[in-house]
Amino acid sequence: MSEIIKLKNVSKEYKSVNHREGFIGCLKDVFSRDFKIIKAVDSISLNISQGEIVGLLGPNGAGKSTTIKIMTGILKPTSGKICVDGSIPYLNRTKYSQKIGVVFGQRSQLWWALPLVESFKILKDIYQVTDEKYEEIMKLYRSLLDIDALLHKPVRQMSLGQRTLSDILAAFLHDPKIVFLDEPTIGLDVSMKAKIRTLIHALNKEKNTTVILTTHDIGDVDALCKRIIIIDEGKMLYDNDIEHLKGFFGSYRTLKLRFDGNIQEQATHIQEVLSDFSVSVDDEWISILVDDEKENVIDIIGLLQNSYNIKDMQIEEISTEEVIKKIYEERLQ
Amino acid sequence: MKLKKYLTLTRAGIMETFQFRLSFIVMIIGNLLYLIVMYFVWSAIYASSNNDIINGMAFTDTLIYLVLATAQFNLMEMYIVWEIGNNIRSGRIVLDLLKPIEYRKYIFWLFSGGVVSHFLMTFLPTFIAVAIATHGAISMGINLLYYLLSVVMAISINYSIEFIVGTICLYTESIWGINIMKQVIVLLLSGATIPIAFFPEPLKAIINYLPFQSIYNAPLSLLLDGTPAAETVLSTLGTQLIWCIIMMVISKVFWKVSLRQITVNGG
Repeated sequence: MSEIIKLKNVSKEYKSVNHREGFIGCLKDVFSRDFKIIKAVDSISLNISQGEIVGLLGPNGAGKSTTIKIMTGILKPTSGKICVDGSIPYLNRTKYSQKIGVVFGQRSQLWWALPLVESFKILKDIYQVTDEKYEEIMKLYRSLLDIDALLHKPVRQMSLGQRTLSDILAAFLHDPKIVFLDEPTIGLDVSMKAKIRTLIHALNKEKNTTVILTTHDIGDVDALCKRIIIIDEGKMLYDNDIEHLKGFFGSYRTLKLRFDGNIQEQATHIQEVLSDFSVSVDDEWISILVDDEKENVIDIIGLLQNSYNIKDMQIEEISTEEVIKKIYEERLQ
Repeated sequence: MKLKKYLTLTRAGIMETFQFRLSFIVMIIGNLLYLIVMYFVWSAIYASSNNDIINGMAFTDTLIYLVLATAQFNLMEMYIVWEIGNNIRSGRIVLDLLKPIEYRKYIFWLFSGGVVSHFLMTFLPTFIAVAIATHGAISMGINLLYYLLSVVMAISINYSIEFIVGTICLYTESIWGINIMKQVIVLLLSGATIPIAFFPEPLKAIINYLPFQSIYNAPLSLLLDGTPAAETVLSTLGTQLIWCIIMMVISKVFWKVSLRQITVNGG
């Protein structure tokens, strides 16, 4: 597969005003300002192939959106090289924009007062899509979902889910090579999320479009992305398959146990015995996070069985969500 | 094919304005109230004067001028500053910047639809009403053609000024104050609120060197002067054309420089 997006040591710095505190400080700000430099993106290198779906994850303010803005050409990196499909995004933006489609979850590019079909027609003319290509893509849309119900509805009367769906269709209309989706499922209900995931997946498959997706919903990642990139404080923490992610910390599992007697006392005692692992307690269960590489879960059960009367137990695989939470919290390198 | 890219935006603009029928009615009522106030203000001015003609304009001349100026204001006021300012604030500008059309052109064509619909819905009716009511005070000859040419250039100059002011919003992040300031300066110095004939001589001299009078004063003088001399027509249209080009270049360059500012410092 050919690589379509190449970033090498891309950094982006912002100058930001250090605001002083209080009323007097506010007045001082008017006359003298001191700036500090914030590194929003810090030396990111990555290569993405044609047809991939890549999930860009990271806590709020981690630099995901900045990275997307650099890739779409809105921002010029402070340093580093970027090349997308043979062109440098920020140089000839008007021409470059022909190659990409964009959806920003909270904003819509559709014409508010007009029925959806009019927005499509406008975009068709702006992007100079031929009639045949337009018919072709509409046929594809029809095969994927019941689009006719949407087409004649003014965008302002649509629900958030319908609007997001329409925005995604609009972004794919001119058959771009890359589509950037910035939090496409934000604020949507479960069934709409599923619908949108199916749609993105199908369009990616049909058109072999590269999709870059930022999200906070791990469900999106699990359903769509083979590969994820985790960014925090502008730095890239992880860039690999989802499967590898779980093994990233060793293979963790949560062992949940229930005993007779005072649960708090027992938990403290177990923590003393198993000092390597973290033990937590809720109303009914004592949970032990076990690293399979250090100690087998079965052995621990055996060990505990000697001193306690186990009433009930569960073993849980660690979820992607928990792994990512751990990464965010630990900020490990 | 290339033109279609732009005309589709005009079409969308027309459709969008016609979605809001009520706004036409509100606009017409608003104008009527404004004109009634103007009628009484100017009749007071003329009553307090000993002459029927002040600064070369009779009462009816002044009134016709003001009515047409108002109609022309509705025709070409696109409220671009609001649009750009709001787009910057909400961040929607990001989406518009990612269209394969230059932003300056994109906004212009998007709002050209509004101009067309306002021409049909407010300007033309007003014009016809004035022509009938004044029994031929507006001569229907070649001056209409001059006026048309002149208005097209006026729209372009006005747009460039609005776009420049809109670009300033990139730096200030506030819209209201700037927009009001622009509005007052343009409407006053262009002769939209008070005919330039009423201005004191020194101010007139200054105004002659500014682009604003090309927006209202120039087209309206061409229209109302029944048989303008070829020389006047040429110098008026020529001045407009020069301003048209100068303002276009300034707005383009200013936008380009400012945009670099965003792409470097973030939006």
